[in-house]
Order: sequence, then C-alpha cells, then structure tokens
Amino acid sequence: MNINRREFLPLAGAGLLAGVAGFEGGKASPKNRRGGSSAVTVVKAKSYSDDLAQQMLRGIRECGLDVRGQKVLLKPNLVEFDPATCINTEVSVVAAALEVFQSLGAAEVVIGEGPGHRRDTYALAEMARYRSEIPKFDSRFVDLNRDDVSSVQGFADRGEIYLPNSALRADLIVSLAKMKTHHWAGATLSMKNFFGLVPGCVYGWPKNELHQVGIDRSIVELSRIFRRSFAIVDGIVGMEGNGPIQGTPKPVGVLVMGRDLPAVDATCCRIMGIDPGRVQYLQMASDNLGITEEARIQQRGESLREVRTNFDLIAPFRQYRLA
Amino acid sequence: MSDLYLDVRLDALRRTQNPDGGWGYFPGKQSWLEPTAYAALALHGEPAADRAWTLVKSWQSPDGSWKPSAEVQIANWGTALCVTIASVRGEFDDSFRKGVDWLLGSDGNESNMLARAFAKVGLIHPERNLSLTGWPWKPNSASWVEPTAHSLIALKQASAKVSNDRLRERVRVGEAQLLDVRSDDGGWNYGSRAALGVNLPSYPETTGLALLGLQGRTDITESLEVAGRMLRANPSPLAKAWLTIALRLHGVDAPELSNEWTPDIMITAVEALSCGNYKFFKTGGQA
Repeated sequence: MNINRREFLPLAGAGLLAGVAGFEGGKASPKNRRGGSSAVTVVKAKSYSDDLAQQMLRGIRECGLDVRGQKVLLKPNLVEFDPATCINTEVSVVAAALEVFQSLGAAEVVIGEGPGHRRDTYALAEMARYRSEIPKFDSRFVDLNRDDVSSVQGFADRGEIYLPNSALRADLIVSLAKMKTHHWAGATLSMKNFFGLVPGCVYGWPKNELHQVGIDRSIVELSRIFRRSFAIVDGIVGMEGNGPIQGTPKPVGVLVMGRDLPAVDATCCRIMGIDPGRVQYLQMASDNLGITEEARIQQRGESLREVRTNFDLIAPFRQYRLA
Repeated sequence: MSDLYLDVRLDALRRTQNPDGGWGYFPGKQSWLEPTAYAALALHGEPAADRAWTLVKSWQSPDGSWKPSAEVQIANWGTALCVTIASVRGEFDDSFRKGVDWLLGSDGNESNMLARAFAKVGLIHPERNLSLTGWPWKPNSASWVEPTAHSLIALKQASAKVSNDRLRERVRVGEAQLLDVRSDDGGWNYGSRAALGVNLPSYPETTGLALLGLQGRTDITESLEVAGRMLRANPSPLAKAWLTIALRLHGVDAPELSNEWTPDIMITAVEALSCGNYKFFKTGGQA
C-alpha cells in the first residue's frame, strides 16, 4: 500500500473516521434512487480555433437547457500555469461559453474561480491569457478564494461549510472543466472542478479541509450543494499521466456537455478509457446525484466508440482501465 | 519612483477602508482579517490603523485565536498576523499573551501519533519528516509554508516578551520543518517538496514567505539566490512584493518595484509594506 501525504491525512483523524462511518451519501438507498435517464452530448472540436461557440450551442440545445433571465456563473478549471502542458480550461473555451450564455439570454454571466494553489489569482489568469483574450475580463471575474462568504449547513461530517456568495447566488453554475487524470481521484472532470468554489480565505491554499474530509466525499458533497449546474468539459486537449498538474497533453478533440454532472463525468471517463465504476466519487454519486450507467445515459452527438482514446494512467489507477 | 509607488498604495488604502475599520480583499467588500492586518501595518501610526486594530481585536475568541472575519466562526492562521501587529504596536497585554499561547498550541495534524505510526511501519510515505511540525491554515489540518512562515515571524518577535522553552522549541522545529519541505530547486512550493515521488517546483510567493520565516539562518544562501532570480524573472505583483520584503530583510539589495497599481487590497497593502514598513516583519534568528 502506498499512500502519500494527502491520502493519509484523512486517516489521521479519529473524528473523521467516525464521520465516514456515518456517511449516507454513498450508494443510493431505494428511497432516493434516481430513475429515468440523462442526456449527455459529445461534440467534436478538433482544435481551439474551431467555432467552439457553435459547437457549445449545439450541445446545450441537445440537453434542453434554458438560461433566459438567469444569473450564470462560469467556473473554469484554472489551477496553475505551466507553458509546457495544459493544466487549465483553455481560454477559447471560456470565451466561447461567455459568448454563448450571453446569447442565450442569461441575465448575467460572470466567471469565477478560486485556484487551489496560487494566491495571486489575477496573475494566474493573466498567464493563462484569460485577462488578455476574454473581453472585459476583470469586470466579469470573481476571485472565489476571496469573495464574501456565507455559511451552508451540512457538509460531510462538518456542521457547516463557508462558500462564496457569488456561487451561492448563481441560478446556474457551469462547470467548464478540463478532461484530466488525477493522481488521487483517478480523473478530474466537472464534479471535481467544484473544489474551486471553496474559499481559500477560510480554508487556505491548498484547500486542505477537502482532503481532510476525503477527496471523493468532498467532490460528492459539493456537487450535492451546487445542484443547479451544467457541465462543459474541455476535452479538446486533455491531460494524461500524472494529472492534474504534471501530466502530459492528450489530444481528444471533444467537448462533453450535460445537465447531469455524474453522467457527464462517467461519459468522459469512458472516452478516456477509464471505468467509471472504479472511480470512487462516481460510485458515491451514482443514482442519488446523477446517472453513471452507460445504458441509462442518452448519448447524443458523437458515439463513444468514435472518440474514445485511452489516457495514460499512473500505476495506482491502471486497474481502472475500461475493457 | 519609490515614493510615488508607496503613496499611490497608501492613498488607495486610506480611500478603501470600510466604515467598520477593516478592509475587504477588494474595495466595497466585507472586511477580512488578512487584508485588514496588512493594511494596518502599512498605515501604522495613522488613525486608520488604530480603527482597524479596534475591529480586529473584537474578532479574537476566548481561546486566544482570531477568526478571519465577522462572519466566519473558525480559528484562523491570521492569529499570527494579529500577534505581529500587537508586537509592532507594543501592546503586550492579555490578548497578546493568549494569541501567543494559541499559536504555541497550533500545529499541523500530519504529524500526529497515528500518522507517525503509519509512517514508521511503512503504510504511508509522506515525503517529509513527520517529527517536524509547522502551522496549518486552520485547526485540524496540515501545516503549510505560508501560515508556518507567519507564525515563526510572530513568535520570534513575541520572544522579546514571552520567552520560554516551549516557544523556543516551536521556533526551532518550525524552522526545521520549513527547511525540510524546501524544493530541490532551492525555493518553496506551498507545502511539500514532492508529490507521489515527483519533485514539485518552487513558487516565488511562498519562497519569499519562507525566507521571512527563516530570518537569522545562515544556511539559506542558495535559497536567497533563488529568490533573487525569481524576482528578476518578473513574477506576479504579490510574489514581487514578498520576495522584495524577504530579500531586504536578509540584507540583499532588491530593485525598486514599479508595477501598476491594481484594485486588490491585499496586494496593495503588501506592496506598500515592501517599500515602506517591511521592517515590521523583521525578526532575529532563533528565539
């Protein structure tokens, strides 16, 4: 067994162990099992210079999303910057989403992120070209690490969690995630992207509280709190290997969209050649937060067979490979 | 240039103080401890700083810790900043002593007995020395570079008034912990030198902060050179400010800063400190 620092931290607290024992957010009980099916749309986009807005519009319409009059928060995955790889949601994807949600009649569209590692969020946004390529970026952007906050009752075994008002007041949060492997969770997609909604000014840099609670459990809890959401996963160029920071670029050429985040993430896993049934947070979310079974996902757009490309997995996750 | 650079920032701080005496991270937002503490240090000696201190003192909990804002009921690493302000203001009262005591009892939970036992039998490979403890952002979490650096500054300054074996030991171990997590390139990442056996690169802002915590050490020459290179590479405004403060307090020349002012209160205050009251972070060596 090879556990590193972040993995053993949850094991180190007796109180947390007790909390895990009482957790009811895992597999759905019969009374809260979610029926029906969910639509997920996969559209091809060979490069970031494609007409991404057009492709997004297609996906959003396929999923039947209506944002007229709503306050929309676009939540990209902006973590760190390394010119040698592709850590963040590409700026052209964020710019396209801004254009699309404005065109669909949203009352307000803002961009918000709370990077987990770097304290100077605007400098990070500049390195990722967000400030130079997204019109009026500074006036549209909220640093969620340093926003005003409110308490939300009930987060795992914690009595409460403080969350940014800009996220709590949004009618819809659009998770503009990056398709990446993750060296502790297996894959980081639209649900894991919600870690950036947790304010550093309360929990620090990194947001160690989420690792204390448990990464998988925190992913599920945040997805439970922010149910009014939509996912657009940037899989045009993803990251394989030692993600989410130190992996290598993996061209896939897709955008994956849907209103059911577990369904979107399960679909992304299948595209990446990862068995979603092995990804713990998807197991925990399955049925009570969304649908992950392939047979119950209404696959629209490109077929999975057409776009699947196996991502390189580091040793602890090689057994996650989809047959 | 330096006078203008400083004046622009001090004026901005004076203009953006909230009616309650604090500052938000951005103009017009709720007051938070961190930007208020840096602004109070930058404006030390002015009535604005006194109003800020009155507000911040009201946020101290009975256990000696400070919470990060009026709304958030969680003890916070900013307690170190408040102890530093108290030292700067020469207010060595009961509030100060309780703050110091809270810091002495605050440590990262990665070094608890269970974790050390797991490491001893090889169940975990923590990539750091678990016998060395730093400070966390909040209780019941792991220690990281930034809160550790600020706690070392606060305790070293406090040692002039509260010198005891416990304080000296926490400073000794805290410094050793910072050195233990130093990245292979000579600077500091935010808390670890490696993840899953892969070395992590250092960041300029955390490198500057770690060097502040390690004032008085003679075994950090390479890291000071790294900090100088980082500063010449034109990092973020926040990183420039912390690196400048660190280099100056280590007696190393740092060029005058000249970047444009941006309406970010915390960065504005740290920038003002970098060319004004940076001496308030000055400490000697081990307590």
